[in-house]
Amino acid sequence: MVKKYGMIVDITRCNGCYNCFLACRDEFCGNDYPGYSVAQPFSGQFWVKVIEKERGQYPKVKVAYTVIPCMQCEKPSCVDVSSNKAVYQRLDGIVIIDPEKAKGQKQIVNACPYRVIYWNEEKNIPQKCTFCAHLLDQGWKEPRCVESCPTKALVFGDLNDPDSEISRIIATAKGKLEVLHPEYGLMPKVQYIGIPKRFVAGEVVFRDKKDECAAGVKVTLSSKGNADKVTKTDNYGDFEFEGLDADKDYTVSIEHSGYSAKKVKVKTNIDTYLGEILLGKIAVKNK
Amino acid sequence: MAGEQKWDKVVRTTVWSAGAGCHGGCGAKLFVKDGKVMKVEGDEDHPWNQGRSCPRLLSLTQYMYHPDRVTYPLKRAGERGEGKWVRISWEEAFDTIVQRLTEIGDKYGRESVLFCQGTGRDIGGPISLLAYSYGSPNWVQFGLSGQSCYTPRLVAMFATMGDYAVADASQFLEKRYNDPQWTPPRCIIVWGQNPPPTCPDAFFGHWIVDCMKRGSQLIVVDPRVTWLASRGKYHLQIRPGTDGALALGMMNVIINEGLYDKDFVDKWTYGFDQLKERVQEYTPDNVAEITWIPKEDFIAAARFYATSKPAAIHWGMPIDMNPQATVVAQAISHLWCITGNVDIPGGNVIARPSHGVTAYPYSTAELERLYGQEFIKNILSRKIGASRYPMVRDFRHWAQPDLAVDQVLSGDPYPIKAAWIQTTNILGGQAADTRKHYEALKQLEFIVVVDLFHNPTSMAVADIFLPAATFAEKNSLRSWWTPLSALVKAVQVGECKSDWEINLELARRFNPKGVPWKDVKELFDSRLEVSGLTFDQLAEKGSWEMAREGHPSKPYRRYEKGLLRPDGKPGFSTSTGKLELWSKCYEGWGLDPLPYFEEPPESPVRTPELWEEYPLILVSGARSSVFFHSEHRMIPWLRELDPHPVVEINPQTARELNIEDGEWVYIESKRGQVKRKAKVTPIVPPWLVMAPHGWWLPETQGTEPYLFGIWDYNINQLIPTGCQSQSGYGGGAYKTMLCRITKIKEGRE
Ligand code: SF4
Ligand code: SF4
Repeated sequence: MVKKYGMIVDITRCNGCYNCFLACRDEFCGNDYPGYSVAQPFSGQFWVKVIEKERGQYPKVKVAYTVIPCMQCEKPSCVDVSSNKAVYQRLDGIVIIDPEKAKGQKQIVNACPYRVIYWNEEKNIPQKCTFCAHLLDQGWKEPRCVESCPTKALVFGDLNDPDSEISRIIATAKGKLEVLHPEYGLMPKVQYIGIPKRFVAGEVVFRDKKDECAAGVKVTLSSKGNADKVTKTDNYGDFEFEGLDADKDYTVSIEHSGYSAKKVKVKTNIDTYLGEILLGKIAVKNK
Repeated sequence: MAGEQKWDKVVRTTVWSAGAGCHGGCGAKLFVKDGKVMKVEGDEDHPWNQGRSCPRLLSLTQYMYHPDRVTYPLKRAGERGEGKWVRISWEEAFDTIVQRLTEIGDKYGRESVLFCQGTGRDIGGPISLLAYSYGSPNWVQFGLSGQSCYTPRLVAMFATMGDYAVADASQFLEKRYNDPQWTPPRCIIVWGQNPPPTCPDAFFGHWIVDCMKRGSQLIVVDPRVTWLASRGKYHLQIRPGTDGALALGMMNVIINEGLYDKDFVDKWTYGFDQLKERVQEYTPDNVAEITWIPKEDFIAAARFYATSKPAAIHWGMPIDMNPQATVVAQAISHLWCITGNVDIPGGNVIARPSHGVTAYPYSTAELERLYGQEFIKNILSRKIGASRYPMVRDFRHWAQPDLAVDQVLSGDPYPIKAAWIQTTNILGGQAADTRKHYEALKQLEFIVVVDLFHNPTSMAVADIFLPAATFAEKNSLRSWWTPLSALVKAVQVGECKSDWEINLELARRFNPKGVPWKDVKELFDSRLEVSGLTFDQLAEKGSWEMAREGHPSKPYRRYEKGLLRPDGKPGFSTSTGKLELWSKCYEGWGLDPLPYFEEPPESPVRTPELWEEYPLILVSGARSSVFFHSEHRMIPWLRELDPHPVVEINPQTARELNIEDGEWVYIESKRGQVKRKAKVTPIVPPWLVMAPHGWWLPETQGTEPYLFGIWDYNINQLIPTGCQSQSGYGGGAYKTMLCRITKIKEGRE
């Protein structure tokens, strides 16, 4: 069976060391690979980009890094806009920009919604990540970025081979895998685990027992009247809802027997730490 | 692999050098073609890094063949600071140096010359060889206030354990994580360090992540939300400079709740009752108030650490920058002592130089043999700081840096007239109070700078500049813990020489008797004798070898086996044979034998009036993933990733000050102001700002008065000298000063 190359980026593992980026620079700066690519300029292009994301507010903050190479789309829009077949997809799925034929074709840069194609002013050509096709064709098992990754955040392999590591991960991590911007409809072969979403977190405190942690309090997250998620505060009175959609209106309801319930509205345009939420005791009348 | 035939040779070597590196000991493969290194990769056969590398290694070729690199000796042509240099031969350089230093030594005494180094990599050997052969006891980390880098932690461990200890990530075992002897720590405290971006103190940053994958859970003590902190089971967001209180508070919980290892404490420790009494002062309520950490958080963390065996502590330089750092480090080391996490798999294991090899002579007996008894007495009595600080006199051979700069300026008790500055960028990096060090160096009659690039220090004060080799261009030796490693020369660049070659040659001219080796390799062979290997044999083995099982430099449980003490008895190498929680060493040095807490010199608590005017804690020194201290700012690939000297500000604080992300601002303190680009980020708390150190701009003007921008950007201008601990070691206030942030108004820039 023909090979079909793909990559998985596990964002939960990446610690932002930049090795992938530098290994890529090391491979492509100053080196032409005839038939595949011409040299990447010494600065300005990021064939594999590492983006730092810091979310939340003090004291509840999360740090993650997202790595972005060319998505090697199954339905690449860059191919469609090129004339003269300057951009083409190989049988193994890798999308290549032919440096000769692509001369002067600036529209290719703008065709990619993932913004991973760079314009080389000096050579008058568009350029991007090739999945190190020149190395794969020499027998390499993976591109330089993947090889250099110390945390195994990057996994590369043949999607058509059920025994490959990548296929095994896909088989077991079902449901956890996502692509960036599925709405573009380009069917990327670079898939992600743990894309940072929005979170809403907070701490429950009983007004009458401020020194104690309010553990085991029921917290419900609902949108448009429907309860989406339910959780309980941990031993320290903290709760968290992770993996929420962006820009949505939610209501957080806190209930505990003997205390008056509380509702807080949040909009997930940012990650939100609600801070301390005080629950007051329901006054019990003496009989 | 098909691709490899393109190379003339692939050299397996070790990364550990000024000149593109850090403290790690990674194995690297250098791909050489036509006498040039073309490509670098991590060595997959090396147990240290197992094929992995880092941005600094991957950009090595940009460093080695940088157009600005100085590749032949220079002498100053114009005035100091004019940036006028002429090329000279090595012969002329050596002749001038010998002549000038001899004149100065004859006139003012040999101790009037300082031999300055930066952070330790393979520099200790060459520089002590030269200083002692010349006859000066003043070998110094000039500018590093309080010698606040690892030395305080080392002396605390030495005093408590008679040895040093490191978190066990299986680094002493060839098979690493697969060795059945090893178990992952169930808990790791990462205390004041962000290991993934750099590999400090002989510890590869990714080991922490490797352990996490194998089940280790983290307690992270850090005021910032680092990547590790955001993945920790507990993140203790501490107020800088209060680590001592936290350690004592954790011990209060562990001891009072009976969570310590009673059998171990009974059998192997000394002074537990006194320690127990001391920690009573540090109740959870007090400690929460001091450290600003919610009490339930550190109580839970203390319980988790004490009940998760094996547990390990990995710590960093902020410990050394606490007031009274030597007792802060002592308190933290007590945590692993009272929980019995000593020299067990996944605990804190005793670390000794691999195979018993010391990379250069430093025992008193050896030094006496080389330089004579008289000189050793001289070191003990005349070394700057030796008479004031017994700990400085007795532990390691460095002079005390804060006193050294004062003495340059005062000439008291004897004049300082010259400096040999080797691979250390004093004015662009290491020194606290940059201006003071600038004024001091300017007064000296003769200064040699040995380095790879011009930098603010060489521009301002060098009379002679000698070009040093990177690790790829030199032979050298490393036995710092493990494995025993060789740096193997792959290529030559210009006329650059290694620190070893330069210093051996000069040392021989000053004192042929102190240099009984024909060349550098013969010196290494003699150092390696106890290992049974020669330098070439070690190089042929792929540049490393692990110590054999049963050797005193190999874990585990050596205190039970009688491998630690010179008399061969079980126990530790201390006077009582036990772990001394009440330190006899400290007592002998006239210090409190038990740990305690002291407020930083400036703080919301100690100087509340100042805090009103300067309501932010200024932390410097956080690591970048792409730079090592003041190195690498001229490497295009790296600089592109971290282009600006920034200051991290919390969004809430920035909003209050009306400061936008990316805007240039002033950090102001009572000592002056520094310009930075605001990086608005929630990873710092609202009451703290963080400004990375080591910033100078090699792309800008290097001549006076600009000096590559240090007077605008170098954060150390706001750090005073003279805050050293009572012991002389530690206390550099690099992380605890107070400041405020102001907008740069138009017309003010
Ligand atoms: S990510 Fe962009 S450049 Fe890459 S294949 Fe898809 S459309 Fe083309
Ligand atoms: S090499 Fe791996 S860990 Fe490092 S930045 Fe790239 S993906 Fe992340």
